[in-house]
Amino acid sequence: MDNPSFEAFIKNIHGIFSSSTRSSEVCEPMKRSKIPKKNKSVSSSYARSLIEASLDPLVTINAKGKITDVNNATELVTGYPRDQLIGSDFSDYFTEPERARAGYMKVFSDGFVRDYPLSICHTSGKVTDVLYNATVYRNEKGEIQGVFAAARDITERKVAEEKLRAASLYSRSLLEASLDPLVTISVEGKVTDVNKATEDVTGYTREQLVGTDFSDYFTEPEKARAGYKQVFTGGFVKDYPLVIRHKTGKMTNVLYNASVYRDVRGEVQGVFAAARDITERMAMENEIRRTVEKLRQSNAELEQFAYVASHDLQEPLRMVASYVQLLERRYRGKLDRDADEFIAYAVDGANRMRGLIDDLLTYSRVDRLGKPFEPSELESILIIVLRNLQESIAETDAVVTHDKLPVVVADDAQLVQLFQNLIGNAIKFHGKEPPRVHISVQNQETEFLFSVRDNGIGIAPEYFDRLFKIFQRLHTKEEYPGTGIGLAVCKKIVERHGGHIWLESQVGKGSTIYFTLNKSQTERMQT
Amino acid sequence: MKRNEKKRTEGKPIDILLVEDNPGDVRLTKEALQDAKVLNEIYVARDGIEAIKFLHKEGSFAHVRLPDLILLDLNLPKKDGREVLAEIKEDQKLKHIPVVVLTSSKADEDIIRSYNLHANAYVTKPVDLNQFVRIIHALEEFWFTVVKLPPKE
Repeated sequence: MDNPSFEAFIKNIHGIFSSSTRSSEVCEPMKRSKIPKKNKSVSSSYARSLIEASLDPLVTINAKGKITDVNNATELVTGYPRDQLIGSDFSDYFTEPERARAGYMKVFSDGFVRDYPLSICHTSGKVTDVLYNATVYRNEKGEIQGVFAAARDITERKVAEEKLRAASLYSRSLLEASLDPLVTISVEGKVTDVNKATEDVTGYTREQLVGTDFSDYFTEPEKARAGYKQVFTGGFVKDYPLVIRHKTGKMTNVLYNASVYRDVRGEVQGVFAAARDITERMAMENEIRRTVEKLRQSNAELEQFAYVASHDLQEPLRMVASYVQLLERRYRGKLDRDADEFIAYAVDGANRMRGLIDDLLTYSRVDRLGKPFEPSELESILIIVLRNLQESIAETDAVVTHDKLPVVVADDAQLVQLFQNLIGNAIKFHGKEPPRVHISVQNQETEFLFSVRDNGIGIAPEYFDRLFKIFQRLHTKEEYPGTGIGLAVCKKIVERHGGHIWLESQVGKGSTIYFTLNKSQTERMQT
Repeated sequence: MKRNEKKRTEGKPIDILLVEDNPGDVRLTKEALQDAKVLNEIYVARDGIEAIKFLHKEGSFAHVRLPDLILLDLNLPKKDGREVLAEIKEDQKLKHIPVVVLTSSKADEDIIRSYNLHANAYVTKPVDLNQFVRIIHALEEFWFTVVKLPPKE
């Protein structure tokens, strides 16, 4: 071995010089032979195996830049066998030979280089990124003999770094793409980072924002300050409402969601805060509120109208009715037969009108004068209803039966009205048989489903819709008296209680009216 | 003011103040009271202001007697029947006079409010004439013969 090899380097380390270098400038190869052979072979074979075992490509270079020794890792990384490498230019194996040359020159001049980045070319064209750590080694006289250079493959590290950079670029671009103004705040309350949306909503650039007080950009700085302090103490805030003021004065209503973020040791570094612009949502909510308010008003006006109309109509009606009756009373049989007939029609008309007006008033009262809902025992309500209906029950020999009835949260007076109208109808529209009415109830998840079934005359399906409209009648008043308000009132009552009402019926076979009433909270829990 | 010329034949003569803007109702009420035995006079006030003036004996009413019973409509021009009722019942000199609210309103709120203002009775005018006559006769029977009214001033 006549090249300055690793062994020479190793001996150098051990303070024992033995060189096989053929470099005329640097070394004196002859002297190495003075080293006892045995000694040399033991120590150097051990060292050699260490060197070969190294995964780092190792190489020694002489002053001319020629490779004087390599290890197996160097063969692997370059793709050349040892004998081809030795004696060739060190710089030949890099993507940037000039830089490689500059590298070992620097070692010769400075004595070492640290983490000198180079890229090694493999014969296959594969490039390996490495960092070189190299140092000169000297002979016993202290004369520089060559350079020992160790390369550390940093491909993996570079890939990892690349990944990390890509990842952080990715998350950065995500942050930037966010329409929500995002900001990080230091423990002192200073802005430490912002995204584009924050620039947009404040009108200030990132550079202007970073380092300033977070609370400066809100209509209520104190509240903003209280907000991030709450995050520092509690760890987070949720939907914290603030108003951001743009530098032009434009306000943006936002809800902040923020939490602290920590370093690897778990120390709180600051607050990460995301604002959600709720201007649109608020505008929409306001719009809905306005619409609801308008509807409520127009409903109230309609009811008021129905009330006033029916109330004020009563006065003139009473006059017409009373004086027509007075005429009848005082002059019946004293004029002629026509006069008696005319008066009779006038009296009848007035009476019917009175009925309509009364019903209209009743109808308008459902919402206008409804009472607050309270737990109401339907069993007791039914007792009242049956007492109110006892006359017609007796007249028709009706039998009214019922399931065990629950307690519902409702306006009890309206429940009386509801059941009275429904049972009253069931009795009124009876067929040839005496009326049989059954009230049943089904306990459902959130509501009770009631039904009132009768064996009456039934209704043809084409009339189902008309039935629940005000003043819709299916029969002449000679057949069945009434104004046609009953089911309209029922519908209004059921709807006021959050339920709905419908019917099933077959002509000649009877009808079943169904309706639902909401359960109370406690009842829901029991189900 | 119109005088009812009906002669009373027995019992203590009674004076009524009818506060009613509708002449049709005034006439009907008078018709219904035609046969009342102890009725002395029916005074009529056509609005709330006139009713209060009458009761305070102001102006042309300086020489009237306070009525024994007031029949009061609720919906009146100028001064509402509810205000008239409130003023009567707050007035030391007038609050002893029984006031019967006689109105076409069946509204619960009117009924409750009237009693809260210390109305002595609340009667709804029926549309049907026969019922109206019956009610007026019942009022007459109750206030003219059943109850003891406070002594005259």
